[in-house]
Amino acid sequence: MSNDWTIVVGVKQVPDSDEVTIDPDTGRLDRANAPAVLNTPDRNALEAALALRDEVGGEVIAISMGPPNAAEVLEESVAMGCDDAALITDRAFAGSDTWPTSYTLAEAVKYFDADVVVCGEETTDSSTGQVPPGIAAHNGWAQLTYVEELEPRPEENQLIAVRDVEGGHERVAADLPVVVAFAFGENEPRPASLHRKIYAENDFEPMELTAEDLGIDEDDVGLDASPTQVGGMDTVSPVDRKEQIVETPEELIEALAETEVFS
Amino acid sequence: MTEAEQQVADAEDVWVFIEEHAGEVMNVSWELLAEGRTLADKIDEQLVAIVIGEDVDDVAEEAIQRGADRALVADDPVFEPYRADPYGTQFRHMVEEWNPSIVLIGGTHTGRDFAGRVAVPTWAGLTADVTKLDVDEDGLLQAKRPAFGGNVLATIVCEDHRPQMATVRAGVFEAAEPDPDREGEIEHVDVVVSEEETISEVIERVIGDTADITDADRIVAVGGGAEGDVSPAVELAEALDAELAASRKAVDEGWVEASRQVGQTGKTVRPELYVALGISGAIQHLEGMKDSRVVVAINDDPNAAIFEHADYGIVGDIFEIVPQLVEAIEAGAELQEVAQ
Repeated sequence: MSNDWTIVVGVKQVPDSDEVTIDPDTGRLDRANAPAVLNTPDRNALEAALALRDEVGGEVIAISMGPPNAAEVLEESVAMGCDDAALITDRAFAGSDTWPTSYTLAEAVKYFDADVVVCGEETTDSSTGQVPPGIAAHNGWAQLTYVEELEPRPEENQLIAVRDVEGGHERVAADLPVVVAFAFGENEPRPASLHRKIYAENDFEPMELTAEDLGIDEDDVGLDASPTQVGGMDTVSPVDRKEQIVETPEELIEALAETEVFS
Repeated sequence: MTEAEQQVADAEDVWVFIEEHAGEVMNVSWELLAEGRTLADKIDEQLVAIVIGEDVDDVAEEAIQRGADRALVADDPVFEPYRADPYGTQFRHMVEEWNPSIVLIGGTHTGRDFAGRVAVPTWAGLTADVTKLDVDEDGLLQAKRPAFGGNVLATIVCEDHRPQMATVRAGVFEAAEPDPDREGEIEHVDVVVSEEETISEVIERVIGDTADITDADRIVAVGGGAEGDVSPAVELAEALDAELAASRKAVDEGWVEASRQVGQTGKTVRPELYVALGISGAIQHLEGMKDSRVVVAINDDPNAAIFEHADYGIVGDIFEIVPQLVEAIEAGAELQEVAQ
């Protein structure tokens, strides 16, 4: 087989978590007014994918599952250097939890005949981290999560990763095809060059893929196919803090002595 | 009744995955055993410990002592060290064989890595990062998890699929204590995976080279206010015998390594003492440290949000205040030594 790899990167549009504010009256989060942005850990995934392409050769295709306006994060991915991009969009997908979401993405990466799929470690809006292992599980592929470094071995048809594990690290070799969840902040995402930006904004249109295009039965996706449902939301009252301002380090130490943290 | 409805009707027992690496059990597994005991008693079903590894009879025995009624043990060299594919396949096989109602897995990297490899093929409901659990009289699990910055707790339920799976955060529950007199049944199960079928290989594993701030009793965290020089935080951490931690800003700027980041995209900590230096107090950061027992903030901006989430605050420049604080702590320590 050719050494060129088809690398697919999963990206997601999320509310900008820096702009999510707390409504002072209700204590509830106001996310409706937060602008939609590319999920920050996905930048690390994009960089990891582009770096793999630089080493091995091949192409990087960004995919995103979402409503039509999610095309913006695909343009951003193309500006950063992705060769192509596809928006996976269909009303049938609405309300999907991580099970049908990872199923849809699993079908999409098969559609592109991916050798390697790279995702961010988790999304800042739902923080489950379940979609990358879910894609791997749906396809019966290998997975590498909490990855900090990648080392391609095209001649062996393998990808080696340094993974963060509790209290240490491990190096794991996985057979292709493989799904990678790249750890947040572990590489330096490259900036988009000006000419790529202009190309992405003016000349590029991501292709659109529907459930039918991917051969997905509508009964297997969406709200009804999702095993989990949100049963309710409770506001958590913040921990009551003393909020006492002291003037000097000595006063602080006295106050802390009373709390017995210096026992 | 459809097959799925039958599966829901027939599901029983509460399973807890006992995570071990080379014989060392992760504490979160004992925490889950305590919580699993409560849930199992509430619905009058058995608590079952799932033990996967090599030579793990001692682990199974300890799980019984810490509250399990039974332990199902898959014992084989293929399970050491951990890999997602053999663990996932074996666990899935066990789920299909016994049809548990509830499955609890520690929200560690390992637990979060393989849980999906069980939930996906069994079409189970999987809730991530749970911090609170309950079960109603019909056996419906109420898995609660923080959403959006943590001041909302979402309850996730799974009515039509079994098992109801959850990965649960470490440090939320008290660990179950062992009772040497407790008895239970240990059953060895068929191992359905073999080395030839695996699709990954662990080349090397080095434990002990990464800071684990989640276990620290004291933490000194540094943020954007350090402006590139985190030495005050390092010195204060040393004086307090604390672990160094950081906000996302300090990690993004490369001042502090990513494994020490506290917050929504970093780690959740609950130390006795949390000192925030030059940290403004964005909700994403608060989410990671709000369960600390005593919070101290030092920041030169009197309007910084962190002061509203701190027990004690000093308004001032960390480069001036912290050296004085270190000196005062060291003077106090010397006094104590003299007194002893």
